[in-house]
Amino acid sequence: MTAVQEKAAGEVPLRDTPAPDRRRWRRAVTGWAFAAPFTVLFVVFSALPVVAALVLSLTDLRSTDLRNPFAVNFVGFDNYTKLFSDELFLKSAGNTLIFVLVGVPLTMVIALAAATGLNSGLLRFKALFRVGFYLPAVTSIVAIAVIWRFLLDPEAGLLNNLLSLIGIDGPNWLGDSSTALPSLIAMSAWRNFGFLMVIFLAGLQGIPGDLYEAATIDGAGRWQQFRSITLPLLRPTLLFGAVVTGIGYLQLFEEPFVMTQGGPLNSTLSVSYHIYNQFGFGNYGYAAAASYVLFVAIVGLSVLQFRLLGSRED
Amino acid sequence: MRRHRRIATAVVVAAAMTLAAGCGRDSGGSQDTAKAVSDGKATGEITVWAMGTEGEKLADFAKDFTAENPDAKVTVTAIPWDAAHQKIAGAIAAKQTPDVSMIGTTFQGEFAKTGALDPTPTDLFAKDSYFPGAWDSTVVDGTAYGVPWYVETRGIYYRKDLAAKAGITAPPKTWDDLKTMAKAMQDKAGVKYGMNLQPGKTGSWQSVMPFAWSNGAEITSGDKFSFDTPEMTEALQYYQSFFTEKLAPTNLPEGQLEPDFVAGRIGAFMSGPWHVGILNEQGGAGFADKFAVAPMPVKKTGTSFIGGSNIAVFKDAKNRDSAWKFLQWLSKPDVQVKWYKAVTDLPAVQSAWTDPALTGDANLKVFGEQLKDAKAPPAIPTWEQVSAAFDTEVEKLAIGGQDAAATAKNIETKASSIGTGS
Repeated sequence: MTAVQEKAAGEVPLRDTPAPDRRRWRRAVTGWAFAAPFTVLFVVFSALPVVAALVLSLTDLRSTDLRNPFAVNFVGFDNYTKLFSDELFLKSAGNTLIFVLVGVPLTMVIALAAATGLNSGLLRFKALFRVGFYLPAVTSIVAIAVIWRFLLDPEAGLLNNLLSLIGIDGPNWLGDSSTALPSLIAMSAWRNFGFLMVIFLAGLQGIPGDLYEAATIDGAGRWQQFRSITLPLLRPTLLFGAVVTGIGYLQLFEEPFVMTQGGPLNSTLSVSYHIYNQFGFGNYGYAAAASYVLFVAIVGLSVLQFRLLGSRED
Repeated sequence: MRRHRRIATAVVVAAAMTLAAGCGRDSGGSQDTAKAVSDGKATGEITVWAMGTEGEKLADFAKDFTAENPDAKVTVTAIPWDAAHQKIAGAIAAKQTPDVSMIGTTFQGEFAKTGALDPTPTDLFAKDSYFPGAWDSTVVDGTAYGVPWYVETRGIYYRKDLAAKAGITAPPKTWDDLKTMAKAMQDKAGVKYGMNLQPGKTGSWQSVMPFAWSNGAEITSGDKFSFDTPEMTEALQYYQSFFTEKLAPTNLPEGQLEPDFVAGRIGAFMSGPWHVGILNEQGGAGFADKFAVAPMPVKKTGTSFIGGSNIAVFKDAKNRDSAWKFLQWLSKPDVQVKWYKAVTDLPAVQSAWTDPALTGDANLKVFGEQLKDAKAPPAIPTWEQVSAAFDTEVEKLAIGGQDAAATAKNIETKASSIGTGS
């Protein structure tokens, strides 16, 4: 309606129509009025805390200063320099890095394999498998933790019982600092691949079938078809999957929280968990600084993934 | 869920930050003095935050209080333990505290330092009526903030029948006795592990410190940490020896302790009073005769750890005087006994222990005696952080084979870099 009026006014400039900037202003007000509820909520609950956290990371605010914020000092980048000499932070950063480097490819490969299987004519009972694979992604982490703790239990666990059948004395998976992190990686891959699988499946179904027909006529085998058709055409979907999984794994928190509490010997302490602990100890400034370092790492990883997997002009 | 909670804290902190224009933490600060509380009955609404079972049962229990004070009303909000710290911190920052809150002993130093807790009016509460270790946990910089509500302490649970089978008829009295008993039960009574001690993980410092205190070690000396001492090292050595001599398991799965103890695979363990009920339940009929509790073994002393919870009034309380009257009521010996019967929280008030409900049970009686010689860590704001570092070093000692002297030194270094927060 407004657009029509404007066009008419533009063609026939009449003296008594409101001045154009006044009309523009009114249009802007209408627009902002519609956007206001979201904008206010976004600014108050998302933008402001993000900015406040940045300011916070430059101070030495602790929980003991809560009642008297005037006691807080600006300390510049002290918190950041302290982070990189903090044994615990470095340990947590190392653990998180291992988790991302192993977990992301692992999850993606399993998800892609499952999606390809479901998309091909090879599998029967597809609906059953689709539900089964996706179920862990919608199950509460607490329920998952109960099941996995039972599976990984050194004495009564299913896994070690199976191992004992072939004469292997299974380790205390979650109680040993060398197997705790790999156990969590396996659990996360199992938990998250279903979600990726659904997305990959959608991507696979978007690839036109005649491409495969043509390739079959040209004599290309299944593997060659997968490499030359599926993978290149799936690249945007793979990129999305890699970015989402990468961010999720960098923010790793729930798995160690419910399974190992960061132990044994801090072998499953993640950066998010370290931040959570520091907030708990009341070191707000320090925790905010660690949050920003994690934020920068997430941006960095995402950019890297876009570089490596993003669409190329070929 | 958790992430939302963290964001909520960030928002609260952000709100506090916008106020923080001028800067400079004032050192020391003035000493708080308690104001007097008015006479007469409690009136008006008293808002209370409580955690765990206490949070669930207190509202019902407080009906006796409102019967005595008809113009007063007690409103209890139950808070889960793992949300408690952030919720109280948030309330302090926003100056939206309730009148009264349960304060975990490990939070005490931190929250008292914020200046949000009201000093305990000494005319209403007599220090001497509480167990000294419990009272000390309320004291920060010489002033008490709040009062002890209930207590717990640690003793040695052991299988009487298996000890007898191994030729030991008296409860272990000294460090050597305990070791001898563990060995004998393993060699002669067929138990797999003679003793269970926590090999690290959250709260393992609570198992180590009794041995350290018994040997004369202290956590702080003046305003500095004193972990790196010969007494501490010797205690750590003793603690470690149970693992190196294969008397204690290094990776007992969670929840395995009780069934193993009942089945006779573990001969003894160190724990608090709550285990009496658990063992009677899991052991079934007649098991109560097979085990007993011994006080902490003596080196120089037989000092144990005292835990539990305090309860405090906030400075921003809307109904301060009535709040203190409610706490005074909770501290009455007969109310403490009733509270024990309602939720099995052990009374922090000494004279409550003369009641048959507590003296009737031989095992509880041991804990009652032990409470007279039990210590809490100093109420310093950074204790939670220091103890987390402590726990990791205990794990290295028990499982990783780190030697005792290095452990004492590492705890000292880490604790000093965290600081006492003053």
